[in-house]
Amino acid sequence: MSQWVRKGLRTGIRTTAYPSKPEMAAGVSPGLPLGGDYPADEMAGLTTRCPTQALREVDGKVVVDYCRCVHCYRCQRRLAMPLAWSRDYEWAGTLTAPDPVQSLGSEFRRSIHVIVVDAGDCGACLHEVKQLDNPYYNMHRLGFFITPTPRQADVMLVVGPVTVNMRVAVEKTYNAMPTPKRVVAVGACALSGGVFGPSFVSESGVARVIPVDFEVPGQPPPPLAILHGLLVAVGRRSAASLISPVPVQRAKAGAP
Amino acid sequence: MNQSELGQEMERRWPGQARYRLDSGGFGEVTCARDVLAQVCGKLFLDWSFSFAGLVVEEGAAEWRLRYLFYGERSAGWVHVLMNAPLDERTIPSIVKFVHAANWHERESEDLFGVLFEGHPHLGDFVLHDDAWQEGVAPMRHQFSAQVRDIERRPNMEWRPRRILEAPGAFAMPIGPVFSGLAESVHFLLETVGEDVIRALPRLFYKYRAIEKIAEGRAIENILLLAERFSATTAFAHALAFCQAVETICRAEVPARGRVLRVFIAELERFRHHVGAIEGICASTALVVAANQTAMLEEELLRVSGTLAGHRYLFGLAVPGGIATDLSDAACLEALRGCHDVLERLNELERMLRVSSSFLDRLEEVGFISEANARVFGLVGPIARASGISRDLRVAQPYEDYGRLKFEVPVEKEGDGYARLRVLFAEARESVSLMEQAVALLSAGRVAAPFQVQAGEALGWVEAPRGAAFHWLHLSEDGTAARYRIMPPSFANWHGFRLSVENFAFQDFPIILSTLDLSVAESDR
Amino acid sequence: MNSFAAWLKVFLAVCGAGALLSLALPQRHVPRVVAWLGALAAVALIGLGAGALLAWPPTTTVVWNVPPIGAFILRWDALAGVFLLVTGLVFLPVSIFAANSLPGLLGRYSMRGYGVLYFALLVSVVWTLVSGDVFSFMVAWEIMSILCYLLVNFEHEEEDNRKASYLMLTISEAGALAAALGLLLLAANAGSLDFSQLKASAGTLGGGMRLAIFLLTFFGFGVKAGLVPVNVWLPRAYTAAPAAFVPVLAGATLNLGLYGILRVNADLMPAASVVPGVIALIVGTASALVGILYATTDGDLKTLLAHSSIENAGIITAGFGAGFIFAATGKPALSAFAFLVALYHLANHSLYKTLLFVGAGVVEDRAGTRDLDRLGGLIRLMPWTALAVLAGVLSISALPPFNGFVSEWLTLQTLLRSAELGSGGVKIVFALCGAGLALTAALAVTCFVKLFAMGFLGMTRSSKAEQAKETSLSALGPMAILAVLCLALGVLPTYVIEALDHAVRPIAGSSAADVLVPPFFAGSPGHQDLPPAFAGEFHDLGAQVGQGVAPGRGLVILHRGGTANPVVFAGAPTYLIVVLAGLLVLVFLVVRGTVSRRRTVTRRVCWDGGIRRLLPEMTYTATGFSNPVRVIFDAIFRPTIMEDTRETVGEHFRTAIRRQSETVHVVDRVVLEPARNIAMAVGSVLARMHHGRLNAYLAYALASLLVAFFVFTFF
Repeated sequence: MSQWVRKGLRTGIRTTAYPSKPEMAAGVSPGLPLGGDYPADEMAGLTTRCPTQALREVDGKVVVDYCRCVHCYRCQRRLAMPLAWSRDYEWAGTLTAPDPVQSLGSEFRRSIHVIVVDAGDCGACLHEVKQLDNPYYNMHRLGFFITPTPRQADVMLVVGPVTVNMRVAVEKTYNAMPTPKRVVAVGACALSGGVFGPSFVSESGVARVIPVDFEVPGQPPPPLAILHGLLVAVGRRSAASLISPVPVQRAKAGAP
Repeated sequence: MNQSELGQEMERRWPGQARYRLDSGGFGEVTCARDVLAQVCGKLFLDWSFSFAGLVVEEGAAEWRLRYLFYGERSAGWVHVLMNAPLDERTIPSIVKFVHAANWHERESEDLFGVLFEGHPHLGDFVLHDDAWQEGVAPMRHQFSAQVRDIERRPNMEWRPRRILEAPGAFAMPIGPVFSGLAESVHFLLETVGEDVIRALPRLFYKYRAIEKIAEGRAIENILLLAERFSATTAFAHALAFCQAVETICRAEVPARGRVLRVFIAELERFRHHVGAIEGICASTALVVAANQTAMLEEELLRVSGTLAGHRYLFGLAVPGGIATDLSDAACLEALRGCHDVLERLNELERMLRVSSSFLDRLEEVGFISEANARVFGLVGPIARASGISRDLRVAQPYEDYGRLKFEVPVEKEGDGYARLRVLFAEARESVSLMEQAVALLSAGRVAAPFQVQAGEALGWVEAPRGAAFHWLHLSEDGTAARYRIMPPSFANWHGFRLSVENFAFQDFPIILSTLDLSVAESDR
Repeated sequence: MNSFAAWLKVFLAVCGAGALLSLALPQRHVPRVVAWLGALAAVALIGLGAGALLAWPPTTTVVWNVPPIGAFILRWDALAGVFLLVTGLVFLPVSIFAANSLPGLLGRYSMRGYGVLYFALLVSVVWTLVSGDVFSFMVAWEIMSILCYLLVNFEHEEEDNRKASYLMLTISEAGALAAALGLLLLAANAGSLDFSQLKASAGTLGGGMRLAIFLLTFFGFGVKAGLVPVNVWLPRAYTAAPAAFVPVLAGATLNLGLYGILRVNADLMPAASVVPGVIALIVGTASALVGILYATTDGDLKTLLAHSSIENAGIITAGFGAGFIFAATGKPALSAFAFLVALYHLANHSLYKTLLFVGAGVVEDRAGTRDLDRLGGLIRLMPWTALAVLAGVLSISALPPFNGFVSEWLTLQTLLRSAELGSGGVKIVFALCGAGLALTAALAVTCFVKLFAMGFLGMTRSSKAEQAKETSLSALGPMAILAVLCLALGVLPTYVIEALDHAVRPIAGSSAADVLVPPFFAGSPGHQDLPPAFAGEFHDLGAQVGQGVAPGRGLVILHRGGTANPVVFAGAPTYLIVVLAGLLVLVFLVVRGTVSRRRTVTRRVCWDGGIRRLLPEMTYTATGFSNPVRVIFDAIFRPTIMEDTRETVGEHFRTAIRRQSETVHVVDRVVLEPARNIAMAVGSVLARMHHGRLNAYLAYALASLLVAFFVFTFF
């Protein structure tokens, strides 16, 4: 057994410096399209290319609804005028932007128990939440712990569009949690139904079933985006805007 | 047995009742009369060692069209058994008496189309849970709109799970659908008297998103999104199977570079998936260091994928006709270098795991599935190969460039958790070897070819990381889908799930579950 | 004499009146006759017992002289007083409970019969305890045994009941024969049947004879107590007995077996070697372990409690064994300590087991089943019953502040005193038995957590039990009396010890109270002899709190050792409970005052994993709960048949899995079956000699004659 101890020690620390410093490694984020100016004559061609209607034209500019983007890259690839994509990951925010939902109080800053509910997820969002447990992200260092029971949970992470068969389970989990509690919807499906909802078996997002406080866009959002969502939920990080002609706000290193 | 022998044999055994025809697509098509359907399927499955791929039920204008898909080793090829029945006829003869692998396919079709399979003993309460949906909803029928939001729901409140264990003090332990931190939503009912799982009943389809229904009437680029995203941990494999179906219908030719890149990406996905599965096994046995080491490798492979393709789960790459964007040779070499690095460390971990007795004790002789059962229940992929069934679609029915590549299909005989782990390790090595060969074969040229959308129907298949995946597509004249059917490997393997967990203790349950590596999203669709 | 006789007359008169009224009145009134007059008789019995224990000097009177047999002698002393008192305390609530439980049998069985048998049994129990000679003792014993058989078999229309009671009768008769033989051997030595003569001449007995008498009486009387290996009848008989009667078996007649053992082997013929003590200790521990293992794994409320009676009888017997050993090795103070603790546990067991059997009767009556797998959730339907049973469960699980805690704690302390013994072998026996009893105590908690959790908590697992309603005062009253007694005996151990000391002092020749309850209170006798430094040390710990308010010596149990080790162990259950209660109240007030003001309490249903509807069949059953014990102790339970049969259609679709398992009780398997096999083997050899041919018989006759001839010629 000692070989494992030696192996562990030999490996050293691989954990990201985020949130004190931004993570610069390649491949940690699938990126999101940036809005902004776009040639007017090609605008219609661009917005209809988007299969989930995440792109709109407002005053001659492209506006991206991040809740709907599913990373199909059709506004980036095989296109004469590709849209610029950011490689950022601090995406979490609230749709009710001007009057943000309150994050959990200061007593929750150092120990947060999170219950993850799979409400019809394709597997990717759940898989990315699971990556938060690996040594690269290690959410425990920030005081986040996954719990299997809502009785101990402060934050509920919901992935998936909420299928009809999971609806009761989602409601029951939410009701079983003690207050104060916050709900973080993770992924395009949980935000807008994604490519699945709405239909006769899928809702168009978690907010149709239980009140959602914070939202993390992306399909799937990379682990750092989900981590950002958790940090926003406890008030240790500021929220990003989910609708943007403006480039996504880039967080300063060490900023609260 | 090759196709011509097959045709003669059919005519000889069931003259006039089972008419054989060699389709232009290269597969044999046997049109069956109602009376001989079960015998024909049984002959193929039991005596001529064809594997059952799936059942496609389609509601035609005036008749039910049922298509039972069988495939054999390379020379035997494909056999589609067809049977038509008038729409007002609500019962279809069940083939489960001979082809047990068709069990869940018939149950699913019964729930979704309302067709009764005569002779099937356990119909009902499958996709549409009886405690959430009333009887008689047949959502896959054309008259049912996928967009209807508020269906009147009169579930049977008196519904109780079918319990079969009769023993003093027996009870049914419920697990899920919300359980165990990061598990996918699925419900288990474990019948027990306290220590051992005597009977396990998995209740799936909590995540039923009706992919097949909502795909109907959509254009192919929209269905591609569904094919790619219904099971995102193996997104590329399923997208590829769909693209192949489209390419077969539209007679599109994928350029050489596109074909090679497809192999490269598919094997990258398989490698990443298998490392993740190994991580799950290490975590379930509470071997923390090994679990963290493999978790790091998995994250590194996700980053390799992200760097190579933009998306960590390889979304948006596969398109009918080829690959969405050219990946440069340099990027592929860079990705291969990353994989080599990961494989080297994975091999070291394997050497260490092979001598960790506490780890092996929890895997060996646990979760046993016999070869006979694996075959009868229609298991596929690494699970079947760990039970001694060597069938792998990349060899049996090669697609893309797999026919040109040299690789081995690892097979183990024991059928226990450790055998499955060894298969995963060996397949991971083969995947990297295939990626090497693919990079060596890369030639300059286009990665995708344009094509004209046509009407027609075809099957696409891949050996996905979890096993054989089949996508059946029927395109109508306007280029939208009339019927899209996915037969994923996890659906086949969940069917055999109970074989491995029954008669083992509760504490083995999560370990067995992790060695099976079943995806709920993939199965539920 | 006079006061005892007066109380006895009252008692007999009440019993006689009860029997007559039962005969005279219409059947439907009999339950009330049993309740009222039984309770009255029990009160007389309590007076009788308390008087004999505390007040009246031991007395012997010849009632009736029958020349060829001898005298019928009436004799009472403090030891009999303890048993009379406990019997009275058991009969009081049990009689009242008859009014609740007997009417259910009305119309099917003769109430008159029950009334007469009940009062006759009451008299026979008392007669057994106050007999002063071998003859009347054995007559009373036999009458008591036969009455027990008739009462166990009261619901005789059930085949199982007839079988169980017949088994009980045969084994009790075998036991009675053995015990009578032992007593007669003792009497033969004394040349008299009078107990006092027996005692006087016991010293002249040889070692072999002493051992023979011990074995005969120990296992003979042990039948009634359910000691291993003569316990097989007990769970079946207890399960068969009517709800109104089964508490009597556990609370009164079981004690008679222990009385017999103690009377003969501590009083009439005190142990002279460690062998009897070692045997008693081992048998007691084995009984305790076997009893609790089967109790833990049983799912029938009554059978579970019956197995637990075997366990408790085992604990008491182990205490006796320790007492025998200490007496034989010349440690009277420790011997007194051990006997006292055993008697304390005996009283406790009688009280809480009666309480639990009454509770089980109520549950069976109201919920329609005794099967713990089919009960559950009764706390919502029958809150008061649940509370009373909880008191019994806490007592039997040896949790403070209830009585079981004190006596089990002291029992284990007694076994630890083996350190003072010289022989290493005996020390090892003590250590092993101590470990066995500790394991028993742990298993007992498992067992009774199971009983309460599966019976009263969670979801109700059968539709009949869902209809259960709270019972009436005639059952709640008795349970309340018993629960209060359990609490009192747990809170006030120093007084119980002082009282029991009266009974122990004459047989052990030393006082246990002096050792166990130091006279910390100023007014108590011996206070001035307490070394002031010693008293002062405990004064700081509050040993004198309550002085002047509470009577007696003090509220601290403390074992005083030698000079090297002045205090062996100390404990103050009374103070402990007061402090604990105070702390609980404090916590409650603090929570109430601070936390709850800022928070709101929201009640949600039990978390079920998000399943749509949690069904009762999805919750743990008693069998499932105790299965780990069954698996760990597989060597003891060893199921003889264990197989799953599967029914399938189409080869792979299963329609049923039937698990059959059958177990044979370990004592049956290890002791009785081999014994029966030997007997059968001997029998078949004998049978071969009797094949019915005339010439063979003539040959036997000739051979016998020749043998006789040789014997008489040469010897």
